[in-house]
Amino acid sequence: MIEVRNLAKYYGSVRAVDNVSFTIAEGEVVGFLGPNGAGKTTTLRVLTCYQPATSGSAKVAGHDVFTESMAVRREVGYLPESVPLYPEMRVREYLHFRGKLRGLDRSRRNAAIARVSERCWLADVINRPISQLSKGFRQRVGLADALLHNPRVLIMDEPTIGLDPAQIRETRSLIRELAQEHTVLLSSHILPEVEVTCRRIIIIHRGKIVASGTPAELRQRISAGSQLIAELKGPEAEVTAGIRKLDGVSDVHSEPADGWTRVTVSARHDLREAIYKLSAEKGWPLRELRRDVASLEDFFVKIVAGAHEAEG
Amino acid sequence: MRNTVAIMQRELLSLFFSPIGYIVITGFLLITGVLVMDSFGPGKPATLRSVFGFTPYVLTFIVPAIAMRTISEEYRSGTIETLMTAPVSDVQMVIGKYLAALVFYVIMLASTLIYLILMMIFGSPDMGASLSSYLGLLLVGVAFTAFGVFASSLTRNQIVAWIVGAVPLILFVWFAGFIVDRTEGWMRDAFQRVNVVRHLDQFNRGLVTLEGLVFFVGAAALFLFLTVKVVESHRWR
Repeated sequence: MIEVRNLAKYYGSVRAVDNVSFTIAEGEVVGFLGPNGAGKTTTLRVLTCYQPATSGSAKVAGHDVFTESMAVRREVGYLPESVPLYPEMRVREYLHFRGKLRGLDRSRRNAAIARVSERCWLADVINRPISQLSKGFRQRVGLADALLHNPRVLIMDEPTIGLDPAQIRETRSLIRELAQEHTVLLSSHILPEVEVTCRRIIIIHRGKIVASGTPAELRQRISAGSQLIAELKGPEAEVTAGIRKLDGVSDVHSEPADGWTRVTVSARHDLREAIYKLSAEKGWPLRELRRDVASLEDFFVKIVAGAHEAEG
Repeated sequence: MRNTVAIMQRELLSLFFSPIGYIVITGFLLITGVLVMDSFGPGKPATLRSVFGFTPYVLTFIVPAIAMRTISEEYRSGTIETLMTAPVSDVQMVIGKYLAALVFYVIMLASTLIYLILMMIFGSPDMGASLSSYLGLLLVGVAFTAFGVFASSLTRNQIVAWIVGAVPLILFVWFAGFIVDRTEGWMRDAFQRVNVVRHLDQFNRGLVTLEGLVFFVGAAALFLFLTVKVVESHRWR
């Protein structure tokens, strides 16, 4: 559905997007993840035909974004980061305007507006001027606009930015719903969001793709593996030595915790049972035992930091 | 085509919603109203020529005020992004906005018909000359609006758009006589061809010239073309 090959975009001498290639199949929900300034918005702008690429190619729904721009625009619903709207218009008027631009005649427009205002919970504000709406509602209006013509592809730039937690949750569940009927590409710098809504993540940093895969695949790539945390009542040195002897331990860090010893263990596999047995064997009471699976956040920070180091 | 109409409708709504629109119309009617008072008096010829003669001077800053928001506001609010990613061509957008500003101008101009009607009540003005005067003013609006829209496409700031639109027009119209007096030969001839005041004088005297028609319409076409080019160039930045 979306094919990008060796896409590059320069703003003057600044390299915003550098040799980016990826493919998104129909029905996929893909998240573009990256720190601010990574090139996410630029890539989305090329895909939505707002700006042309400096080099490379991009195709959406089989149409080239440069040579078949109008065809691409008909297939795409775009929600820009700034959610630009006309403050003097009422929501209904705005949606009618956008519907006309999409080529919908009056009856189809009315039906479409009814559909999207229900989907995006706009029924209460449909006759209100946009200037009176809160950020959350404006976001929904923007999303409603993107959905009006029932496009095959939805492209959203930071769809939950500036929303309060309740609105964020609603928007995310809406995105998951939409994913069932549309191909979705969204960008974000908020990791939990991408983790929760997307089936596949593309991490972009300084214009280059540094990682791509499902959240599970990405997590497995962390070499640190899992960490175990345990608190045992015993002399720190002995506890540390005892744990270090366990099979598969790569690193042990210990610190006293009001009479107990708190150990953080890096290991290749789950050593919880082994630690329990050790505590029983040595007679050290055990009051905490848990395993922290590496989070995507660690991965993200690591990847971005790693990319930093690689560049020097 | 439908896109152009949709954009025109939206822009017209915006023009009538904004207070600037009403300030402009009020200002215009106030100025022309004061000017027209002179034409009404016992024994005076029943003609609005003095008003029509002065109106283009007023239009040099009034018309750019109508057009100043058309494109600059899209830049400023960011809605240019949703417009340019919709299946709308840049030409359709520019023409749609231009037509909205022009319709607004025509409505404003039409409101001065009251003076003509008053004159018809108290005297018998030359209808032919009056009609040709209005045609002249209409054509001035056609050209000035295109220039105003062009100025609007150059900046995201409305006020700058207004100034960039008004100043060249003011120089062109208010200093027309000055330039004609101080030049000669081919320079003078060249200027006279694009001299708005001279063309309008002819319309005011009842002379509808093809030259005038071509000049005003051609100028509008030129500036609309340039506007489309400027708007297109925004994609490449």
